[in-house]
Amino acid sequence: MQFREATPDERKRFYLDEWNKKDLPDFILHTLSLREFGFDYGEGPSHRYNQFMTIEQLSDFLKNRAPYAAYASVALYEQPSMRKGWLKSELVFDVDAKDLPLKTCGCSGGAVCEKCLDEARQIAAMFAETLRSDLDLRNINFVYSGRGFHIRVNDDAVMTMEQTERAQVVEYITGSIVPTDMTMALGYSQVFRDRIAKTFDRLDEQKLIEMGMRKALVQQLIKEKEKVIAMMRKGKLQDLQDFSGMGEKTFGQLVDYLMKLNSALTDGKVTIDTKRILRLPSSLHSGVSMKCVLVRDIEHFSIESAIPKFMREGK
Amino acid sequence: MVDANPSAIQNEILSFYLMCQGTAAVSYPYSREVRLVTDAMRETIKYRMYELFKRGYEDLCLDVVQRSFKFVRLEHDGGVKLKNIEIPREDYFKLRDMRLAEDGIEIVDDRALPQYVPKYAVRWTDLALLMRYRRVDLTKLYVIHGWVVITPRELWEIFANFIGVKTEEYIASLYERFSESGVPSKLLDSVGQRISALIPPEVELRERFRRIPMGRLRPEFFPPCMKKALGGVGTGVRNYAIAVLLTSFLSYARVSPSGKVATRMADFISDISIVREEIAPLILEAAEHCNPPLFKDQPQEKANVYYHLGFGMATEPRLEDSGKSKWYRTPNCSKIQISAPPLCEPDEFCRSRNIKNPLTYYYKRLAEQARPHTGD
Repeated sequence: MQFREATPDERKRFYLDEWNKKDLPDFILHTLSLREFGFDYGEGPSHRYNQFMTIEQLSDFLKNRAPYAAYASVALYEQPSMRKGWLKSELVFDVDAKDLPLKTCGCSGGAVCEKCLDEARQIAAMFAETLRSDLDLRNINFVYSGRGFHIRVNDDAVMTMEQTERAQVVEYITGSIVPTDMTMALGYSQVFRDRIAKTFDRLDEQKLIEMGMRKALVQQLIKEKEKVIAMMRKGKLQDLQDFSGMGEKTFGQLVDYLMKLNSALTDGKVTIDTKRILRLPSSLHSGVSMKCVLVRDIEHFSIESAIPKFMREGK
Repeated sequence: MVDANPSAIQNEILSFYLMCQGTAAVSYPYSREVRLVTDAMRETIKYRMYELFKRGYEDLCLDVVQRSFKFVRLEHDGGVKLKNIEIPREDYFKLRDMRLAEDGIEIVDDRALPQYVPKYAVRWTDLALLMRYRRVDLTKLYVIHGWVVITPRELWEIFANFIGVKTEEYIASLYERFSESGVPSKLLDSVGQRISALIPPEVELRERFRRIPMGRLRPEFFPPCMKKALGGVGTGVRNYAIAVLLTSFLSYARVSPSGKVATRMADFISDISIVREEIAPLILEAAEHCNPPLFKDQPQEKANVYYHLGFGMATEPRLEDSGKSKWYRTPNCSKIQISAPPLCEPDEFCRSRNIKNPLTYYYKRLAEQARPHTGD
């Protein structure tokens, strides 16, 4: 798949011929008039404080202006056009393929490919699973944003939460705090072990050496990677510490390193910002010429569903 | 404990309100006095719950808790179950041991043990307020399907902390109300002074260093309106921004009057250099940044600054002049919005904490910065 910038003419064609109000998710459609909209005409999302009372107004606006990018707030306001009277905000997580801490695809900084997009998809699915199973959140939506995925939670119980609570949810689902007891079968302890095991699985020899580990130990860990991962998952951390050359100190450094990588799996600043604007599902990401779309089945998401007509025709 | 008769209960409730209002009359939000009062509230609630449980009134307590937290009891049916979800046996005992270890208990008798055994579960989302104030940490909780498994002791702590936080918020709202309506009554003043006198000197000293207040100003925690005023503003709002807003805000933020109703700065400082060398230079600098510079344009406004600080018409303040005029309190946000609308551009903190006075913003930021990361 080729990602390239859309031309002004392609943007126009997209909004006139392809954009459909039916592609707007219900969670936005039902709260449309309570959201602040922002637009980018090529210089960043600087046109903010817009409000649309009906979907027709939004539709006319998009077709007439064909913006470079369109955004809607995660917050609902009494007066969205003044950003006043905050009512509540979706709990959101941004998993951006270009910012993943460990990329196995070789994409350089800022670039994305189908492989790292799929890695971002897997991370989004993993986070959502924890949100469901541990935190019992039900109204979870996924959006493919063009360069990654947004998780948008609309359960009422979390929408009134403020920054500190949201930051704690980020810590929980990313596994970026060492649990009081790493060996509990369920709860955060299990989430933490699962995250460090997954991240360890993606580490190569070079990364472990960069971390400051001795080469002999690194080679041993890589050689017995499956065994190490199983120990992490099962909470047999003492066995891991007993690895020849590991010891308590090196084990602590390894855990810290994995935790640091995990904390970068999502951009926490997005989650804690209760007045953030996020790319509008159904709109065009002109930077990569892809549609920002609601993903109904994250496990079987195909990027094909996000390719705009002008890109298909240009193939 | 309170006697179970209407008159004793009424006295208890009135005492609570008097205590809060007295505290708000003589101190600022998150001050040592507020800390003392909320800590006392927390301890009282915890003790009462412990006593009620001991006397067999567990259901009565749970009935009260249920008004703020949804909760369920764990079931013992072969194993331990939480709404049909089996809690692994080893986790159940690890939770017990962790709670015992937290309290530093190695040997426990049969009477105390049930307090440390997981017995209930509350919804994690109901703990949002406590998470906000860092009284609980999500990653330290044992959460299954949205339920946090807790022991009776944790239930008492959660509920006591909840009441403590609510009390803290109530006193902050009273402070803002008093800022609006002027000097509080003599009765509240005297109650507040008595509360203030309860702070042990050694605690006072320790707290002073730990929780900052009376100390160097921390501009990084100033609210947006004050940062704007410090950067200088244009005609129209210049005089108000400098002589009214900044003057009152910087002086109260720096001096943090505590223990009695603040009418005279000399009651709280013994060294006039605080005014001359710390507060006044910031005001003068902000005035210089105005367009056009305020004191060049209107030199008489300089005297107005000291007048608002309570030094009468002095051109060079001396401690003995303190009290010659009123030491103006920082106006509430609603007043600023009317008198100087361009200054009021609330940031996320203003909005999320529902700030009504710039000083509350400052004290709250200081308190949150000083608050330990983990729950207590």
